[in-house]
Amino acid sequence: MRRGYLGIDVGSISTNAVLFDDSRNVLFTYYVRVSGNPIDSVKRCIKELDSVMQDKNIEIAAVCTTGSGRQLVGALLGADVIKNEISAHARAAIDLHPDVRTIIEIGGQDSKIIIIEDKTVVDFAMNLVCAAGTGSFLDSQARRLDISIEELSRRSITAPHPTSIAGRCTVFAESDMINKQQTGHAQEDILMGLCHSLARNFIGNVARGKPIHAPVLLQGGVSANMGMLRAFEDILGYKVIVPPFNMVMGAYGAALLAMEADVAESRFRGINIWQHNVYTRGIACEDCPNNCEIIEIIDTGELVGRTGGRCGKW
Amino acid sequence: MKERMAIPNLGNYTVALASMVKGMGAEPWWSTYTNDHAMALGIAAAPESVCLPFKAHLGHFIAADDAGVENALMVNSIGACRLNYYRGLLEDTLKDMNRNIRVFGLGFDGFKPPVFRYLDPPIIPLLRAVFLGLEKVKTIDTIEVETARTRAREENTGESSLLMEQCLRELSEINNKKEVQLFHKDVPGRFARIAVNKSREPLRVGLVGEVSLLRDRQLNQNLEQVLGHRGVEIRNFFLLGGEIGNNFGISMGYKQQTAKQLAVVARPYLESEVGGHARDSIAHTINCARAGFDAMVHVCPTGCMPEVSIRPILRKVSGDMNIPVLELSFDEHTCALGMVTRVEAFLDILWARRGRGMKTYSAGRSF
Repeated sequence: MRRGYLGIDVGSISTNAVLFDDSRNVLFTYYVRVSGNPIDSVKRCIKELDSVMQDKNIEIAAVCTTGSGRQLVGALLGADVIKNEISAHARAAIDLHPDVRTIIEIGGQDSKIIIIEDKTVVDFAMNLVCAAGTGSFLDSQARRLDISIEELSRRSITAPHPTSIAGRCTVFAESDMINKQQTGHAQEDILMGLCHSLARNFIGNVARGKPIHAPVLLQGGVSANMGMLRAFEDILGYKVIVPPFNMVMGAYGAALLAMEADVAESRFRGINIWQHNVYTRGIACEDCPNNCEIIEIIDTGELVGRTGGRCGKW
Repeated sequence: MKERMAIPNLGNYTVALASMVKGMGAEPWWSTYTNDHAMALGIAAAPESVCLPFKAHLGHFIAADDAGVENALMVNSIGACRLNYYRGLLEDTLKDMNRNIRVFGLGFDGFKPPVFRYLDPPIIPLLRAVFLGLEKVKTIDTIEVETARTRAREENTGESSLLMEQCLRELSEINNKKEVQLFHKDVPGRFARIAVNKSREPLRVGLVGEVSLLRDRQLNQNLEQVLGHRGVEIRNFFLLGGEIGNNFGISMGYKQQTAKQLAVVARPYLESEVGGHARDSIAHTINCARAGFDAMVHVCPTGCMPEVSIRPILRKVSGDMNIPVLELSFDEHTCALGMVTRVEAFLDILWARRGRGMKTYSAGRSF
């Protein structure tokens, strides 16, 4: 029986899983869209994992969850480690590219820059309330143009004369794109212009003057978009690296963290969890005027965790 | 029946303010934090771009008016601070909304503050109440410092916070200066009884920035607890006792440098006053770097002019003196999870700096 280390990254748009064995071989990677239901997406991940594990004779030795759904899914799975996604992404990048200096990570709702010196994170920044320049905006634009996100990626890099698009805010960007389309610009040029403006927006509003040194890694869901890669290379003036496992970097880092956590006995609640009837239930705490909405996670009638309280009572 | 008076939320220090208001002959209407209901009222009534503390105060006073409270008291600070101006602004806004609540400032115009002219409290009981209140302020300073210290080391998460609440409840019941002094003496001993892990060496992090955000745990998304429960001993640089001592040049509770001394410390980076506690924030950061703190957290409401304007300076100080500074901005759109993610990633950096590897948190803890 080999020991396996599972990392799960539950983001706004996708849930990813990576499984390592003792000697750091990647046995399993999985990428699934959340579609608004993190618990269901994790169950689908675990279901897929179950069939792989049966083939390879592995038992789970430690689990780490990361991403914005880390607490919820951590409670559901019985995670041994719950880690923020910034550290998880950094851990993965340092493992795959030990000389990395800058990480640009753009996901569905978040974009982050992580500065690394000597294999340690020294600084980071995350987008504030504004989600301009993240995956969900690219998604919505692809939807508006009635093309797939893959097609957006493919066509944007063929643009001969990228036009300039206002990128400070998605609302302005969209009006500007429509303006350009009505004045007759080619769609490719508009798409590439959009990528440029999102990259500029990232450098201006997220990186905000932080030093960007090569080697630069581009990771997270948006790194699959070749237009965005080209846009960053155009702006920075040198090659930007898209590492292997770029789509599942958070989970990759989480799996490494699970491995390094030195867990004696995992609290993992079992691979059969995908067969369980898991649901959440909201209750309103009325002990103070805050009326916190407490979410209880119920697994086949058993309460496995709560989230949402602010005072520590729950 | 005594008229009621709503007082603004200044975190745990509201307990002391409430007892002063009682001495003025009014019944205090208060809470140590702005609750969601009041916050929603404030957000609906205030212009969108105004800062979070203003919305909190406004909402609090609207909720008070809804409850039939006749008066409200706004703390004016003596320094070059927006709070002076916000009193008038609150008064006008409430008047425009046809609210009947009267807003008093604590500021002086002539010999007597208007609130005293209105309530006209007899002088001896008033002085007694002021001294009682100041004694409570000192006690709360101690409670704050003790809570921060034990919270970072406690074996059972949450115990220090519970004891803090308990102490504040008891303190608000006491109406006699002697008893407050006795109670005060007891505080360190009570916190010492909490089971702590002595081998733990918490990170030491200084909290600087805008006052309401440093003090109202609703506005700062419970930042002190978020840090404390992750093994960080915080030093909140707004201790009211120290602050009063600052402004009036008297020795009060927790010892803190006076505004003048802080100005000298900050001078290499900023020569003039820019409002609020901005210059103090720079000085405290410099002091903390010298004292070997692991990091600083700077909190400010989104768009707060004084505090935002010193952020580039803080970055310079951070680079020059090798002390990491986490900048957190808060408004009503700030999501708690985003703040926690930033804080956790920041703490990972700090633990790595200490050379202990990355610290991880066990599962199942609610957030």
